[in-house]
Amino acid sequence: MTAKGNNKSKKHLNPLLQFGIVFIIITILPLRSSLFAQDDGARAYWNAREKTNIFSFQYLAMNLDASDAKVFAPGQYIYGNADVDANMSFGSFAHHFAFFKRPSSFAVNIIGGSVGANFNSNISPEFLPPGIAPGIAFSQSSSGFGDPSVAFVTNLIGTPRLNSTVDLLNYEPGFSMDVALLLSVPVGAYENDKLVNLGLNRWFGRIALPLKYHFGVFAPGYMSSFELTPSVYLFGDNDNFNAGQTLKNEPLWQIESHLTHDFTSKFFGSLDMLYQNGFQSEINGIKAGENLEIGSLGFSMNYEIQDNIMIRGSYSSNVFGNDNLNTSVIKVQFVYSWNKTVENAKKLSGGE
Amino acid sequence: MKTIYKLIQRRNTPSGFGVLKIFFLLIFTFSTLLAFSQSQVNTKQKKKPNILLIVADDMGYSDLGCYGGEINTPVLDKLSKEGMRYTNFYVSPTCSVTRSMLLSGTDNHIAGLGNMGELKAPNQMGQPGYEGVLNQRVVTVASLLHDNGYHTYMAGKWHLGLKPDEYPHARGFERDFSLLVGGGSHFDNAWNLEWQVPKAPYTEDGQPVAELPKDFYSSKNYTDKTIQFIDEGRQDGKPFFAYMAYTAPHGPLQVPNRWLRKYKNHYDEGWDGIREKRLARMQELGIIEEGANTADRLYFLPRSSALAPAARVALGRKMEIYASMVEYMDDQIGHVFEYLKQIGEYDNTIVIFISDNGAEGNDLRSMVAGQAGTMGFIHGMNNFAENSHNSIGRKGTYAEYGAAWAQVSMAPFRIYKGWTAEGGIRSPLIVSGPGVQGSGGLNKEAVLHVKDIVPTVLELAGIEHPSSFNGREVAPVQGKSWVEMLEGRTQSPRSADDWLGWELFGNRAIRQGDWKINSLYQPMGTGDWQLYNLADDPGEQYDLSEKRPDKRKELIALWEEYQKTNGVIIGNRSPFERAKKALPDPQPEFDNYPPRRGLEAVPYEQLLKLMSGENNKKGSKKE
Repeated sequence: MTAKGNNKSKKHLNPLLQFGIVFIIITILPLRSSLFAQDDGARAYWNAREKTNIFSFQYLAMNLDASDAKVFAPGQYIYGNADVDANMSFGSFAHHFAFFKRPSSFAVNIIGGSVGANFNSNISPEFLPPGIAPGIAFSQSSSGFGDPSVAFVTNLIGTPRLNSTVDLLNYEPGFSMDVALLLSVPVGAYENDKLVNLGLNRWFGRIALPLKYHFGVFAPGYMSSFELTPSVYLFGDNDNFNAGQTLKNEPLWQIESHLTHDFTSKFFGSLDMLYQNGFQSEINGIKAGENLEIGSLGFSMNYEIQDNIMIRGSYSSNVFGNDNLNTSVIKVQFVYSWNKTVENAKKLSGGE
Repeated sequence: MKTIYKLIQRRNTPSGFGVLKIFFLLIFTFSTLLAFSQSQVNTKQKKKPNILLIVADDMGYSDLGCYGGEINTPVLDKLSKEGMRYTNFYVSPTCSVTRSMLLSGTDNHIAGLGNMGELKAPNQMGQPGYEGVLNQRVVTVASLLHDNGYHTYMAGKWHLGLKPDEYPHARGFERDFSLLVGGGSHFDNAWNLEWQVPKAPYTEDGQPVAELPKDFYSSKNYTDKTIQFIDEGRQDGKPFFAYMAYTAPHGPLQVPNRWLRKYKNHYDEGWDGIREKRLARMQELGIIEEGANTADRLYFLPRSSALAPAARVALGRKMEIYASMVEYMDDQIGHVFEYLKQIGEYDNTIVIFISDNGAEGNDLRSMVAGQAGTMGFIHGMNNFAENSHNSIGRKGTYAEYGAAWAQVSMAPFRIYKGWTAEGGIRSPLIVSGPGVQGSGGLNKEAVLHVKDIVPTVLELAGIEHPSSFNGREVAPVQGKSWVEMLEGRTQSPRSADDWLGWELFGNRAIRQGDWKINSLYQPMGTGDWQLYNLADDPGEQYDLSEKRPDKRKELIALWEEYQKTNGVIIGNRSPFERAKKALPDPQPEFDNYPPRRGLEAVPYEQLLKLMSGENNKKGSKKE
């Protein structure tokens, strides 16, 4: 900045110069994982300004060790007597808009990566893929694209329309409730002679009721929230499972919770909890393995690199549920967002 | 009766005249004795009145509902209906200066506050009257009342000295809970803007307060302390003098969280519309005359209709918090009144309510801590950095509402705190209590000054102001008692020849009758004397210097007398010496410039709809 510019900026009495605050609130960006079997993430359902576009990229590394467990949840990459490692990437694009004057968003999610599983010799014969003899340890892997999904979220209670900067300035949320719908399309990589696949070869959907309670000051550096999202996944049948068998799964019930808090205006942390129950597998009408029950705890840290670029790291691990099941998940997520009004404002303010 | 009748019948006879004379003499003597004895009884039975002196800090002239404001102030509005409002009451341009006169009854240049202690000019250092604290040349009204049978209490802002012998306790207040400096956080963190005194110091009963209570909020605690002091001291039946020096709504604008959004979106309309409505109500209330020249918006302020809705919301929030602070204070004053009613003392209490100076339109933070690289800047950066839209008004934030809203608070006047224009020195005044005549009335005739309060209170208490106190000579009071006016025996304590003078930071003014001269630093003034007739130009819009050079000359002569009488030393430095450069440039659009024939501003509500796209099917939204 030039010396002249510096002098100008010292003229504090002009009320227009106090106007920079107006654009701060746009930095509230929901980050959603949108991955089956994982939590949506902290602040996933915070409502953003209309016409905001959000692109996120997520890398996820999972270890799902069920070597001594009896649970069988292939859609979750959890197989009794197997130790699974997954490295996956997710791309997501979300657009925020008003739906019947309610803050809403529509998102498209794409998944890709690789999954590798080491099955031990104790795997039950009915789960064995073709060509594998009982009592022999073996490995399988899959790579490519998984099943893409589309998601729609709209607010039901508590959030006004967030269209203009005026709306955002007046926005001080308390309790709010959304409804979130997700539909996964079975077009991902799938081989019917494998137990381990990235695609699930079945339609599935999810209905969630994200509940949020904001407390403290709704300002960068002070925001806190308690979030609770009950949801249920409903699955279609996979009628070409493991060489032509029919895999059915009961609904998977899930409660996800986060306690989030801003430590600085650009950094927030979250304590994460996920409880899942259900997903009882049935192969050709016969129950297979145990009902899935996982209670996970974790934490997330989110840093705003710029006002429209954020990075998040998360870790979670199961703490109760199925015996002898050990899970650990590490996620790293980048988010980029843009909104025409804000971008224009930046141009006028010299690109800041 | 027959005897009296016979005596009267005999009145015209020579012999009867003498009898009648004796009869009337007896009647006269009897009446005199009766009156005298009755007077003695009254004196013995009638308790002296309590005095409750309430001072708001930086509150504007037209903020209260009873002065035309839209802020909800039911307690003070009710007080004004019980007592009288005065429209020509004057204070000083800043707080400590006013307080020195409020407590001493004499001019600030004599009482030690010739300049604010924090802003003394080099050539004022060490000069008598420029001690920067309430000096020993004066005796406070508290000392005199205390020595004459009154309990004397203070809660709130002192700002008249930081040393033990300058504490309120040392200047006549037997009980006190006092903020010694000019301002600071309204909450328990006590941050002060001045790095030299980073934590605002408080005293209680003459002792420094180590730590404020956790739930401290200024207006509430000052109220609670006042009630506590009165309650603990009332058993002996002595009257009290309670000085409630609220620090609301002085910056930083802060209010308890549950009050933060009490005025949410109330000021989104912008300052011009709010001010126009105030002026209309002031006319309805009779506070200003229809057709009087009110002040134009200051040249560097944009008209609010030119601001985008978002800007109005962002800037309006500051006024929301200010309004909440004023209402909160009003509510707290109500607690004191309720308490006095409970103990049966309300009807024997004279209540005087004033503000200490004009509303704050300066950017105090910038003035005190705005220069990058200084200690003040670092202190402000460390402790007052949080000012986001949803944060301001809370603990740990520092916000002021700026010149545009200050002009609203000071409607219909020009400029604001710090200047000797009417916007800096005119204050609301409500007086109520036993003996105050004209309930609900409005006195527009009396020209009153804060110096008048000491002689008024002393007369109400039956005390003479002494020429010496504790072995030292003390300056006489300069103010004039209002007692005759309060009792309805006169409309004003001042005659047409009486005059008032002001000087602070080099800005000067004299008022005599309706005439006033002002000498203000540029760009608010010309740096030279300007003449106004306040009767039809309360906004000081038309300089009549060329039309009435004779009047200007007369008043300048009075200024010279004022300067000489009070030992005024014009400072060789002033916080306003750079005002011309420090203030923003003129707005490109100012009222009718440039002219936009036939084009009117879009009403705010319609503008919001336009912005949200509701009036545009294609949804082309602009911000």
